[in-house]
Amino acid sequence: MNTVTSETPLDAAARASVTVGRPAEDLRALWLRPDTQSRIWADFADVTAAEDGSAEWTASGPAGGEYRWRTETRQTSPTEVRWSSLEGADVANAGTLVLRPAPGDRGTELHLDVRFDPPGGVVGEAVSKLFHIVPREIVSKALYRFRALAMTGEIPTTYPQPAARHGGTDR
Amino acid sequence: MRALCWNGVNDLRVETVDDPEIINPKDVILKVRLSTTCGSDLHLIDGLIPTMKAGDVLGHEFMGEIVDVGREVTSVKRGDRVVVPSFISCGQCWYCQHDLYSLCDTTHPKPELQEPLLGYPTAGIYAYSHAFGGYAGSHAEYIRVPFADTDCFVVPDGVSDENALFISDAAPTGFMGADFCNIQRGDVIAVWGCGGVGLMAQQSAMILGAERVIAIDRYPERLAQAEAFGATTLDYTQVDVVEALKELTGGRGPDACIDAVGMEAGGTGLQHAYDRVKQALYMESDRGDALRQAMLAVRKGGTLSILGVYGVMDKFPLGVLMNKGVTVRTAQQHGQAYVPRLLEHTQRGELTPAALATHRFSLEDSPTGYHMFKHKEDGCLRAVFTP
Repeated sequence: MNTVTSETPLDAAARASVTVGRPAEDLRALWLRPDTQSRIWADFADVTAAEDGSAEWTASGPAGGEYRWRTETRQTSPTEVRWSSLEGADVANAGTLVLRPAPGDRGTELHLDVRFDPPGGVVGEAVSKLFHIVPREIVSKALYRFRALAMTGEIPTTYPQPAARHGGTDR
Repeated sequence: MRALCWNGVNDLRVETVDDPEIINPKDVILKVRLSTTCGSDLHLIDGLIPTMKAGDVLGHEFMGEIVDVGREVTSVKRGDRVVVPSFISCGQCWYCQHDLYSLCDTTHPKPELQEPLLGYPTAGIYAYSHAFGGYAGSHAEYIRVPFADTDCFVVPDGVSDENALFISDAAPTGFMGADFCNIQRGDVIAVWGCGGVGLMAQQSAMILGAERVIAIDRYPERLAQAEAFGATTLDYTQVDVVEALKELTGGRGPDACIDAVGMEAGGTGLQHAYDRVKQALYMESDRGDALRQAMLAVRKGGTLSILGVYGVMDKFPLGVLMNKGVTVRTAQQHGQAYVPRLLEHTQRGELTPAALATHRFSLEDSPTGYHMFKHKEDGCLRAVFTP
């Protein structure tokens, strides 16, 4: 199995930041709510989170491939939340959310960093091919959704009423 | 319900689609009373803007009656007659709190499509491709409106449906363009384009105290409407616009120039031919004659206010702006910041947006309406649809 190090190709690491106009303690509490986790990652994986900080993840790949893992929240402090997958994960991964005060009246900066460790069976397989989504997109969309939830109580969506008919193809 | 759907380049059809429903708790459902064409729709219809999908319901400028209300909506109710700006804004984020509503940080369902193009996603918008959110549009019997407390404005008695309709987009876009000019006593404002937005920018500049407004276009009926609003008019096919503007301003040049034309600018001469060829080859999406002219014509230290919709344009003469010390202001409309004021100006008869409604169609005939609008047949300024 590959080891996640700073040498891991960029493709497997994903990092993004947003600023949210709310205090860090509110954001940290919202992040740790189980239903928040299932809502913000919805485009990437089905997440069933529990109050104890553990969560079951199921991500879909192209052609019906499915990857499962379980995570546990390992460390939390007022400014940081860390989690990582447990033994037996289809795709091992680890994540860190760091909360920092933003300047002026801008609230709190959130820095999210997730590293994926593709399994031995697909050494060299790009994570973006595994999930059919670029890792950077996974984290930046989760943060976008989290900010929307924190600011408005809603996550923007057109589902199940997109502008196009269902299955409409790009033209 | 019935709705006007995009099915591919220049392929519009009225179809039966699912009725919208409340999804989020701050949503309302509007029964559309009136919906209108916008020049920027032509970019979508002509295929100049990517990420359209077959079946997309068009239309982003509309007004109607609230028929269903989400459980967290507090400031509007069932039965209210409302106008809705075309950008969807939450009212809570930093951008909304700073009146930069079209830059809202929370209403884009597909930010990953837009971030690579712009660096950061904008607000979502109704019916403006999936890169702008993929929300269904208003050329339909019903439309779902998120964040109703921020985005629905009750139309007061004395403001007709047709007047209110254009306070959804053409009027706030035009007013914002005039507001960008920071108009002072004695200022002369030149406006390229006498379509809906250009005409509203002209009337707005007068409301904001411009000494003189000069309107530039080529279509006689549009120039006639500008004149009826009180503007001095120039037909760019008949005069050298930059020279004419110098003549009209004692050699100073307009204090501010507003571009209300955008990427499908008509024009004359070699530069125009070059731009058309590149646009046809998809090497760039914009022609840009109007913008180049405005950059040259504006006085030193003046303001260039850009309302026209642009994609990518090369050969952009940045040195003209830099050496002349021009201030550039531009945005998609921050409508929510202007709508209350515009409803008041309309109630007092100072703003007359209904003048834009030259042609009326049932929703079933909306493809004919777009055809007339696109080709400016019979002096069509805006086609208005009644579902």
